[in-house]
Amino acid sequence: MSTPATSDLVLPAAASPGERPKWRWPRLGRPVLLLNLLGIFSLYGLWALATESGFVSPLFFPSPSMVAAEAQSIAGTADLWMSIAASSRRVFIGFGLATLVAVPLGILMGAWWPAKAVIDPLISLLRPLPSITWIPLTMLWLGIGEGQKIAIVFMGSWIYILLYTVESTKRVDPLLVKAARNLGAGNLAVMREVVLPGSLPGILAGLKVSLAIAWSCVLSAEMVAAQTGLGALIWSAKDWGNMPLVLVGMVCISATVLIADLLANRLEAWLLPWERHRRPN
Amino acid sequence: MNTILSARGVSKRFAGHQGGGGVLALDAISLEVREGEFLCLLGASGCGKSTLLNMFAGFVAPSGGEIRLRDEAITGIDPRCGMVFQSYALFPWKTVRENVAFGPKMKGIGRGERRDIAERFLAMVGLSGFAGHYPVELSGGMQQRVTLARCLAANPEVMLMDEPFAALDAMTREVLQGELMRIQAQSGKTIVFVTHNIDEALVMADRIVVMSPRPGRIAAVIDNDLPRPRHIEAQSLPAYAALKRQVWNLIAGDLMAHAA
Repeated sequence: MSTPATSDLVLPAAASPGERPKWRWPRLGRPVLLLNLLGIFSLYGLWALATESGFVSPLFFPSPSMVAAEAQSIAGTADLWMSIAASSRRVFIGFGLATLVAVPLGILMGAWWPAKAVIDPLISLLRPLPSITWIPLTMLWLGIGEGQKIAIVFMGSWIYILLYTVESTKRVDPLLVKAARNLGAGNLAVMREVVLPGSLPGILAGLKVSLAIAWSCVLSAEMVAAQTGLGALIWSAKDWGNMPLVLVGMVCISATVLIADLLANRLEAWLLPWERHRRPN
Repeated sequence: MNTILSARGVSKRFAGHQGGGGVLALDAISLEVREGEFLCLLGASGCGKSTLLNMFAGFVAPSGGEIRLRDEAITGIDPRCGMVFQSYALFPWKTVRENVAFGPKMKGIGRGERRDIAERFLAMVGLSGFAGHYPVELSGGMQQRVTLARCLAANPEVMLMDEPFAALDAMTREVLQGELMRIQAQSGKTIVFVTHNIDEALVMADRIVVMSPRPGRIAAVIDNDLPRPRHIEAQSLPAYAALKRQVWNLIAGDLMAHAA
């Protein structure tokens, strides 16, 4: 066989490329959405029934109509929107800084055991501390301004981001590292081409969990000492005895964190195109 | 023919659980792989055939003896010995094209040329239309074709294949065997192929190294002179049956011992 034409090498195609699985409605036949709505409405119905009928005193727990009225009046002012913006900004900065510190550190710890050996005991000491225990010290160092709120968010979330990153880095399939080296990859290329993309799904999952934790941190910090933010709004509403406003604040927190989570899911789908096919739900 | 890859008095002992003597997986193996040949390592489970292959790739270091490629000792993972894994080991976050272009990328070849190389080898394995897909979207047989193309694109001197078709259904396996033989005939690559399937060895190999277990040793090296192409008709020839019986007799005892 002397210098064969390339066409001699061509093998019959395995299958035509048009055979991709068709997109389907999510779990058609299982009325998941219907049951979701049923859950929400039964909770709402129970609340309305208990409060509007006078069975529970509105002083004790405000009725839906009181909360709606309060929401309507405050949504017309800048107060509510400023509060949401102030809290969101603190979470964004504190969580962003925590991500910038913890993700690279976590990858280093997952990939290089001496780094893990040095930092592990430190984490064991810091991890049991809830972020609110940092409030006295951070107030001493940073006063009660923005820096202190951001520090609380940072302290509350960086360890979780770190732990998730270390775990996902360690779980990268060693066979893929072997395969990459066998194809000529050096240490740096293994990091960039295998360890980083291989751990990205786990890191992003960790970031989503930590984002919710970051929100709870900022709210507790705002309840202790702040003039702005959703936590401060709730706390001052309590001082004025305005329970409907407390509930409006709580609903706003839920809604804001939900929206943040939705955005995070979109970002995840965009960053992990190969995972879309794995979980067609 | 020239020797391209050789094992010289290679042994491997795996450490025991409680500091005992451990398991002797390979006992003083000496073997020469000739340039351009299709060599099959055949044997029952535990004969050390995969361990030997992993040593050729540099994944496992010998406890004694040495592995030499073109008369240089192999001391670590060496891209000149490309591995095709049984479980594919494709990068799930890379498209089929990016997977195949990985070896060229590691060599510093530019984007445009990488793309051409990938297209060429994808055409060779019959997957031209799938360059933009992710591995998870492909069937097992197609994923193994991608692995084959990825290995070829990295242009190794020797292709090491660790039971590459064992996880596939019987019909897909037969198709891929035929394709691998054609690819080898065209590319002239040296292939070391591990299998526990006698027919697979008889159909594909130029030489068959029959190994026996506990400890892993070479029982016999058989020249396979059956005429090519070895299609289904060739498998009904008396010569084929005779060779199959010869190989079977060499490993039957090991298989019975393992099954018992």
